[in-house]
Amino acid sequence: MPEISYLEAIRQALWQEMKRDERVFLLGEDIGRYGGAFGLTHGMLDEFGPERVRETPISEATIVATAIGASLLGMRPVAEIMFMDFVMLALDQIANQAAKMHFMFGGRTTVPIVVRMPGGSGSGAASQHSQSLESILMHFPGLIVVNPSTPYDAKGLMLASLRDPNPVCFVEHKVLYKTKGEVPEDDYIIPIGVAEIKRAGRDITVVANNIMVMKTLGVAEKLSRDGIEVEVIDPRTLLPLDTNTIIQSVTRTGRLLVVHEACQTGGWAGEVIASVVGSPAFDFLDAPVRRLGGKDVPIPYNRGLEKFAIPQEIDIEREIRALVQGKV
Amino acid sequence: MPVPFIMPKFDMDQEKATIISWSKKEGDPVQFDETVLTVETEKVAIDVPAPATGILAGIQYKDGDVVPVTEVIAYVLKEGESLADLPKTDSQALPTQPEVVSSPQEAPLSKPIIAPQNASVNATPVAIRIAKEEGIDLSKVRALGGNKITRDDVQHYMKEQQKPASRVAVPATPAARRISAETGIPLETVTGSGPRGRVQSADILATVNSRPASTTEIHGREAQVVPLTGIRRTIAERMQQSFQEAPHIALTIDVDMTEMEATRKRFNLQTEKLGQPRITVTALMIKMVAWALVRNPYINASFDDDAISLWQDVNIGVATAAPHGLVVPVLKGADHLGVSEINMRLIELANRARDNKLKLEDVQGGTFTISNLGMFGIRQFRAVINPPESAILAVGSLVRKPVVVDDKDRVEVRPMVSLTLSADHRVIDGVVAARFLSDLLAGIESPGLLLF
Repeated sequence: MPEISYLEAIRQALWQEMKRDERVFLLGEDIGRYGGAFGLTHGMLDEFGPERVRETPISEATIVATAIGASLLGMRPVAEIMFMDFVMLALDQIANQAAKMHFMFGGRTTVPIVVRMPGGSGSGAASQHSQSLESILMHFPGLIVVNPSTPYDAKGLMLASLRDPNPVCFVEHKVLYKTKGEVPEDDYIIPIGVAEIKRAGRDITVVANNIMVMKTLGVAEKLSRDGIEVEVIDPRTLLPLDTNTIIQSVTRTGRLLVVHEACQTGGWAGEVIASVVGSPAFDFLDAPVRRLGGKDVPIPYNRGLEKFAIPQEIDIEREIRALVQGKV
Repeated sequence: MPVPFIMPKFDMDQEKATIISWSKKEGDPVQFDETVLTVETEKVAIDVPAPATGILAGIQYKDGDVVPVTEVIAYVLKEGESLADLPKTDSQALPTQPEVVSSPQEAPLSKPIIAPQNASVNATPVAIRIAKEEGIDLSKVRALGGNKITRDDVQHYMKEQQKPASRVAVPATPAARRISAETGIPLETVTGSGPRGRVQSADILATVNSRPASTTEIHGREAQVVPLTGIRRTIAERMQQSFQEAPHIALTIDVDMTEMEATRKRFNLQTEKLGQPRITVTALMIKMVAWALVRNPYINASFDDDAISLWQDVNIGVATAAPHGLVVPVLKGADHLGVSEINMRLIELANRARDNKLKLEDVQGGTFTISNLGMFGIRQFRAVINPPESAILAVGSLVRKPVVVDDKDRVEVRPMVSLTLSADHRVIDGVVAARFLSDLLAGIESPGLLLF
């Protein structure tokens, strides 16, 4: 299997689906000649032409609203929000329109749009270009929130999103764009709403998303040498959230840590923890359940401070050790 | 019931009102919505109307009293009612004397000073309410923050009072609590290694593992360690003791269930009409066994070192699978019960066993045990006697097989069951055991014998 980057995997999915399905088209700021802020749509204008790779004015509300309108008329638009932070400007369209139409029209219409948005910190892009806002999107019934951590998942989930009848918020991570992994060239789907156990272990369950999956896997390898076996679960889709897999895992390990980059207060770790504590897994808990989120601060521009604001390997290791050793 | 007349709340943050004057007195008739008294809040004077039509009675406060809002200040009685009709809890709060000790002059528009139980106690309304609810004598509560007893003081007092109480919470993780319940090791007996002494599952498992003869690895392979505790330990010990002490003999007999099945079918036609549960094979079997036990007293016996007890009562235990292991609920006096009664008691016992709700008396006093593994397709087996009883009957599965049915060597397919009696040879000779089995066979094959 060829090794390609996370960015290339998403690009490949879009490319292949545009070839396969004429209804799919892209719209967003600078996605044509410039190839997108991160170069993800590079070459697509030449391949598919300006009808299907549409440059838009700088108005996120317009981008999403246009996508919704087109989808109602049978198209399958992929809207790009240059930085996830700007999704706030389109939140009325996403949350009040796209998420609700299927419900409010009595199931007689669907809104099959995909809104791509790179989130996350680590690139020194300061506080208006570095947030992880997936928890906000998770609060709206009717939306799907996808958040892949590997190139393989990114392609399979993008293909699933493009074919899903519901509005999908496809949250990417800027720092992951360069990470590489094996990705099949052919068409495959990763089902929405199914978590993956990225690493099996008996001592503690760590649920993490996007870049925190990578960090946790690194920590897990290190701890394994000390005899601590960490089970790492990547929900892959945050809404719907595969709580079953998590609950079953905690039933086996008796311990739970949730790690995310998003600010801890109001973050989705709380959702995971509530699901577990309110489930039969409660009686199998052998330690307090813990979460490790980003600090409740705007992401700093300064690289050192930026690192300090979000969980690092050393923090994850400290939390896991404390939980496994019964020190919390 | 008398309608309570409540001091109304006129304002969001109003806590109390001062009674200016009652315009009606005790025993006066009042109309709904008619002004009965005038009160003064911190802002205005307001006429308070009657909450119902009737007779004004049980006035709690006099003119000039400061009363917390939502307090009952009087009652309105309907025709034929008296204050005695009040529910008891209310009547306790219905003293003949008004409880107000302060006058507005002493505590002008500050927090009212009221003491329901002791006129000399100085307390806030909240403190009084809590004291009333919790049944606390306010005169025993010390005001720590000044001259007035507050909510904090009452709560502090309650905490002090409860200190020596037995409710000591052991800090433990949910998993530790579960394992404690499963193994029967009380949390209190385990030293917690977690923060602030919290018991974690490893602490209980360590206790379990520190018991002798616990092997976690056999030939290098991992095994799941099931601690030998509670009911499992009891079963293990008793079976070991039984097998070591009682010389077991086992005799097997095959019985033809044709008649029994036919009888059961006839019974069930009746139970259906009566809306009763269907008669089970076990119920009929118990009836037959009880009948045979009465005829063979040495089977319904137990052995101790000095003597053999031949029991007057026939109490038949039925080995039953329960969530935590085997239990043997006992059907008492089975020889005096009809089949339908046996059936119903059996259902009840089985339900209780399944829900882990058996009481001690449900499993005590057995004189004989039946163990049935027929439902698993086990044709025939030897059971171990349940001490101190001296015999146990093992019932196999019902199998249709060819049997010779009469003198002319005619072969017919009949529903057959193997019954194996394990008997304590110290008490029961082979011939005694054999006689019991042949009586049982006669009963099962000719259920009409029950009538004798």
